[in-house]
Amino acid sequence: MPAILTADGVGKSYGSGSARMPIIDGLTLSIAKGEFVSLVGPSGCGKTTLLMCLSGLLAPSDGAVSFKGQVVDQPPIGLSVVFQDYSRSLLPWKTNLDNVLFGMRRVQGMDARAKRARAEEILAAVGLTGFGGHYPWQVSGGMQQRVAIARGIASQSELLLLDEPLAAVDAQTRADMQDLLLDVAQRFKQTCVLVTHDVEEAVYMANRVLVLGPRPTRVVREVVVDLPMPRDQLTTREAPGFLHARHEVLALIRGMRQGQKLS
Amino acid sequence: MTAAVVAERLRVPICAALVLGTWQIVFLSGVVPEKYFPSILSIATAFWQMLADGSVLTAWAQTFGRALIGLVGAAALGITLAILSDLSPVLSRGFRYVSDVLQPIPPAAFVPMAVFMLGLGAKLYAFVIILVTVWPPYLNGVAALSGVGAVQLNTGRMFGLSNWGLLWRIKLPAALPEIFTGIRYAATISLIAVIVSEMLAGRDGIGFMIFKKAFALRTPEVFGLMFLVGLNGVLLNGLVNLLRRAVTGWHLRMMERPE
Ligand SMILES: Nc1ncnc2c1ncn2[C@@H]1O[C@H](COP(=O)(O)OP(=O)(O)OP(=O)(O)O)[C@@H](O)[C@H]1O
Ligand SMILES: [Mg+2]
Repeated sequence: MPAILTADGVGKSYGSGSARMPIIDGLTLSIAKGEFVSLVGPSGCGKTTLLMCLSGLLAPSDGAVSFKGQVVDQPPIGLSVVFQDYSRSLLPWKTNLDNVLFGMRRVQGMDARAKRARAEEILAAVGLTGFGGHYPWQVSGGMQQRVAIARGIASQSELLLLDEPLAAVDAQTRADMQDLLLDVAQRFKQTCVLVTHDVEEAVYMANRVLVLGPRPTRVVREVVVDLPMPRDQLTTREAPGFLHARHEVLALIRGMRQGQKLS
Repeated sequence: MTAAVVAERLRVPICAALVLGTWQIVFLSGVVPEKYFPSILSIATAFWQMLADGSVLTAWAQTFGRALIGLVGAAALGITLAILSDLSPVLSRGFRYVSDVLQPIPPAAFVPMAVFMLGLGAKLYAFVIILVTVWPPYLNGVAALSGVGAVQLNTGRMFGLSNWGLLWRIKLPAALPEIFTGIRYAATISLIAVIVSEMLAGRDGIGFMIFKKAFALRTPEVFGLMFLVGLNGVLLNGLVNLLRRAVTGWHLRMMERPE
């Protein structure tokens, strides 16, 4: 599989002079088309900053990112981010449908009616039939998150960068959303990079888990999850491959925590 | 129907009766000489006569028109200045100094200078009204535009908006509710400025009429005209609210929704 996204020696620091704070240092990764990759790392290590660099919203201080073979210097067509703060990312003066249509503003070769039909189809796929006319602030947090995901997909995206999309929902909704996300990713042929705090979630969703180190962060380990798709909340979580991968990631993260405590 | 519901329905008549009743009691008590504190009836009669001879309607139209045009001009200028401030930190600081100095000056203080520079007439009104009315839309606009969240801006950029696109499609829509709060203040200020200008340098309008009648000690007419000025405020506010509902109705409904 060819790489859809690569980061080559990416570094990013905030501030300058004595206030300079390195957040990412020499980070290299490669995401293949069709993959589902999870990123886990200690909180505050720079995961959000990394996604901003990968999406062209922030310029890296060192190294380069390329998307489909082209160097990323501004947000490219075909890549979209579902922000950690999804409720603020939806535009409150637009209905849910209009928010999704806003995501389609750069889509070529579709007239207004075709775009509308497509937006409605994607809203239906994330279980929001009949909510297109509502405003984001009229629906629950879980639904807002699905609008944000729908908007990302609708932008003719091939690569979705998801920043802790399920952090704010309750456990049951979370399990449902995981399966929904896997389903729409497959249905709409999305390559996905998922940032999450939850190691179980990282393993459950992904073909590969990249473990990030403490700040300044880089990839410290790649854990391949050798499990078939589609996943199942019961059987997958009991499979030896799942337990193996989970063990490996958890052990790494625990090691990092202890390292931090000692230093 | 419970008493509470009746009271709710009759809110306006009850309040009106209370105000008029109090007025009439003060009048009957004779605390203030009748010359300066006429009865409701004589105010109403005087008002009716002015209505009948047409003078008050013309004056009303002139005053209301000036206030409305001044408000529209001030809002447009204030929003423009706010946008320029958002684009350029240098302009932003410059405008801020100017507003710090000009904002505390009351409309009356601008009138003599305006008379020297512009003479009597439309230009004077435009100058005085806009100079005192522009600040709330401008200041609210600056605060609102700079307060637009980074996540919203990143969302716009992710979907390919240029800097201009961000301004028109993200920043302004997000800032409009707060700008409208400024325009509502401005509506009141605009009316004050018109009345003051008409009193000091006018040849017509309600302000001028109030001045003329006051010199002639026509107290009932003065009170009637004051009532009309108050009514103008209600009307202008109503217009602004209609526009606000049309443009930022989403925000009003968002604020009203039960949690
Ligand atoms: N604009 C900025 N200027 C300066 N420092 C920043 C900025 N944005 C983030 N930081 C700092 O960079 C570090 C990494 O932040 P980032 O949000 O990327 O981490 P994260 O891994 O996503 O955290 P979390 O797990 O809380 O989501 C933090 O210490 C944060 O305080
Ligand atoms: Mg984060």
